[in-house]
Amino acid sequence: MTEKLLIILQIAGRRCALSALDVRSVIETGAITPIPRSPAWIAGITALRSQALTVIDCRRAIGLSANSAGGEWPTDHRAAVITEGGHSYALLVDGIEDITTAAGEAGQVPGGFGAEWSRVALGMIETMAGPALLIDLPALLAGPEAHRTEIEAAA
Amino acid sequence: MDDLLAEFIAETREMLEATGGELVAWEADPADRARLDAIFRFVHTVKGNCGFFDFPRLASLSHAAEDALADCRAGRREADQALVTGVLAIIDRIAAMVDAIEAGEQFPEGGDEALIAALEGGEALAAEDPRAGPEAPLHAPAAAQLGANEDAAAQPQRRADAQRTIRLPVELLDRVMSGVSDMVLARNDLAHRLRQAGNQPTIDGPFERLTTILSDVRDAITRMRMQRIETLFGALPRLVRDLSAELGKQVMVDLDGGDVELDREMIETIRDPLTHIIRNAIDHGIESPSARLGQGKREIGLLAIAARQSGNTISIVLADDGSGLDEERIAAKAVATGLVTAAERAAMPRDKILNLIFEPGLSTAETVSNVSGRGVGLDVVRQNLEKVGGSIKVASIPGEGTTFTLQIPLTLSIIAGLTVEVAGHRFAIPQSYVEEIVQGSARALDLTRIGETALVTFRGIRVPCLMLDEVLGLADDAAAKEPTLVMLRLASGDLFALAVEGIHNHGDLVVKPLAPAVMRSGLYAGSTLLDDGTPVLLLDVANIAAQHDLVSDTRARVLGPLAEDAGAAAESASRAMLFTDFARRRSAVRLELVQRIETAPVAAIDRSAARPRVVIDGLILPLVGLPEAPLTQPRVRLLRLSDGACELLYAVREVEDAVELTDTLTPVPEDPLAEAMTLIGGVPVTLIDAHALFARHGEPPQVAERPRCTLPDGEWARAILAPLVIAAGYDIAPPDEAGAATIGILFEDVYEVAETLGRPLPARVIRLRDQPDAPAGAQTIYRYDREGLLAALAAAARVPAGEAA
Repeated sequence: MTEKLLIILQIAGRRCALSALDVRSVIETGAITPIPRSPAWIAGITALRSQALTVIDCRRAIGLSANSAGGEWPTDHRAAVITEGGHSYALLVDGIEDITTAAGEAGQVPGGFGAEWSRVALGMIETMAGPALLIDLPALLAGPEAHRTEIEAAA
Repeated sequence: MDDLLAEFIAETREMLEATGGELVAWEADPADRARLDAIFRFVHTVKGNCGFFDFPRLASLSHAAEDALADCRAGRREADQALVTGVLAIIDRIAAMVDAIEAGEQFPEGGDEALIAALEGGEALAAEDPRAGPEAPLHAPAAAQLGANEDAAAQPQRRADAQRTIRLPVELLDRVMSGVSDMVLARNDLAHRLRQAGNQPTIDGPFERLTTILSDVRDAITRMRMQRIETLFGALPRLVRDLSAELGKQVMVDLDGGDVELDREMIETIRDPLTHIIRNAIDHGIESPSARLGQGKREIGLLAIAARQSGNTISIVLADDGSGLDEERIAAKAVATGLVTAAERAAMPRDKILNLIFEPGLSTAETVSNVSGRGVGLDVVRQNLEKVGGSIKVASIPGEGTTFTLQIPLTLSIIAGLTVEVAGHRFAIPQSYVEEIVQGSARALDLTRIGETALVTFRGIRVPCLMLDEVLGLADDAAAKEPTLVMLRLASGDLFALAVEGIHNHGDLVVKPLAPAVMRSGLYAGSTLLDDGTPVLLLDVANIAAQHDLVSDTRARVLGPLAEDAGAAAESASRAMLFTDFARRRSAVRLELVQRIETAPVAAIDRSAARPRVVIDGLILPLVGLPEAPLTQPRVRLLRLSDGACELLYAVREVEDAVELTDTLTPVPEDPLAEAMTLIGGVPVTLIDAHALFARHGEPPQVAERPRCTLPDGEWARAILAPLVIAAGYDIAPPDEAGAATIGILFEDVYEVAETLGRPLPARVIRLRDQPDAPAGAQTIYRYDREGLLAALAAAARVPAGEAA
């Protein structure tokens, strides 16, 4: 079996994983320029060398507005940089924890992960650091609106 | 014209290469519709391009091939072997002719007719063996390829004579471009660190050099990709003239926005579409002079073409004031060709029907002429534009004219932009939209709210005004008392004001695309990085205006000048700019004299001479109207007045408004500088006598001259010393142009030799030495002693030329 490298993150207090191949780098987030009238899950843009990165708040992009206590999640001062569809994004998460190897393939669990999480998840994956939710980047970047539209379409 | 010709040849040859494969495939399967279309597009484009040049033989050949292929496309003729052979022979002939044109040779006469006849003969010729024709260069699939190769091998000498150019993949240029952008940012970072580390002569020199080189490279790279749309517009007046002469019409062309810069590739892409639309407009749109007079129009038709840039899009609007599109005929044709059903047609709005003209196979032209095609033009136009992600739409008013709007994206662009601030956020606006920046109190701008809409009065016209903070949802309750208005003119000619809190600066911005989720808001066209590396968003002005219904579909631009003509004749009351001067007198000056309202820092005013002066835009201008007492405020408002040749500035306490001089003018002979007294809004106002003012104070503006220096010979001086001297505000003069006022910078050894030999030395001289440690009593400066050098330059510049020792 080929060793699949994963980056372990905390998003909204849950352990999640991104394929290391998708993550270009991890940067210190500098000043973020907010974008008026853009969805709440887009935190703004920031500069990485001569490139502008769209900063995504992963918690809001999943569709979670605040934690159970009603407060804000802690945010890591680092962000993971990914490229999707020709555009570069910086992902804001609770914390970037570790790089580890996958101990299997992503799989589903009975009962799913809950509506918001299921939308952005490829499945659960066992890692050296314990089980984590493998994130589907395109789905994450579609934003919570995509989910709502689906529901409306179904209704 | 040579450029155009070279491009025509390069383009035709490139298309020939690309069509090569299609030709072979088509020959194998003449019924293949996609191949047929591709070859059709090729001959059609060649025919179109010939309109620029005088190539009657190329035109007739391509026209014949187009005719035959159009018959196939319309199903009037089978694509049989004879047709294929005929068309291929013509394409070979076109290739040979293009080679001859490039080499500047005369292509051997004759033979064209036989080729054309071979096409028209159709079945009749198919019976014979078409390959037996004595003249026609016969086509065989392999021979075409082979022949081309032999050609190329036979003409290496000829090709070398042409201008040396290479064609590169665009991705490669993109990579170089972004690499240079990265280098600029790395340089800025380094500059920042160097400043922190303090003065280090050994590093500063090379660093300055790096900076100069980098900015050169950046300029070159930018030029590599960008081209002013002027290069495209330049050929249009001639094209319009020739076409209108040929068709017996009178057409005036009005071009605007030629300074918009566009990717070279994009210019190539829009060249044909633009030509096509112009052809159509003149052939079918604009009526004959007699018909126009009969309809009460001016006998000269107007074709207005305007280009505007907004971030990642260029819009080009082509508007004619001809007969407009005939909705009924388009609809009838669309139903007849089965494009839409009669029921669908009944439900379609006019707008939708008009845009059917971009569908393949739809043409309303009754006759096929050499000038415009048979409706194939517009479907090709749309196809070409859509291929690069652009779009085209049409609007038309019967009897009044037709407007085509082309939207073309820029893959990568550097645009001039303005940075504005609102509610603590910064945004960029493309400079091309900015008509003017107006500063002033809400009262002076006559900012009023009519319902939910804000209006301002600009040059006597009420203009809708958008509050940028409201547009972006940043509005706080404490509304800004003194908004700055940016007057923006859209490509459609509509004008509106955007209220912001402040203007920062302007400069070249490298625009990068935004993520789709951000683009969906419709407010932004891209992002860009400021010099300090902060990202800012570029506002999508066209879209913001559209969201607020500020864009009219009618041809405001075309009607504009005509309406203005009429307005100018009717308007007899003259207008004046009302202001309060420093003596607190309300005064006015005739509006025709006012060029601009400038704001200058008090520090820019030089009161050392008998008459105060100000340096604005590198010009030294006389200044009047200042109070005797020193000014207390940091900035002063200045009216820039001009009589056409001379300019002067009039300092004012406050600019109020432009007003009409409706009341009687009462002369005041006792005040030499007053033309008259008049009442404006019931208050007496002194009207400044411009004649007396310019007689007394006017003078042609002088270019603020920078002190000049000559430098020692050698690489070091050129590469290291020169940038430092230039940055310090001196011009470098070649040694033979050195005058008495020129400061000479010399190396000590050169100076000594010259002194010993009694050669003439500059009056003011700075001597440089190589060693950091000065011998006692030396009047020399170590060559890396930056402060010493700058101080010596400043000291030398202060010494009047005559007194220098």
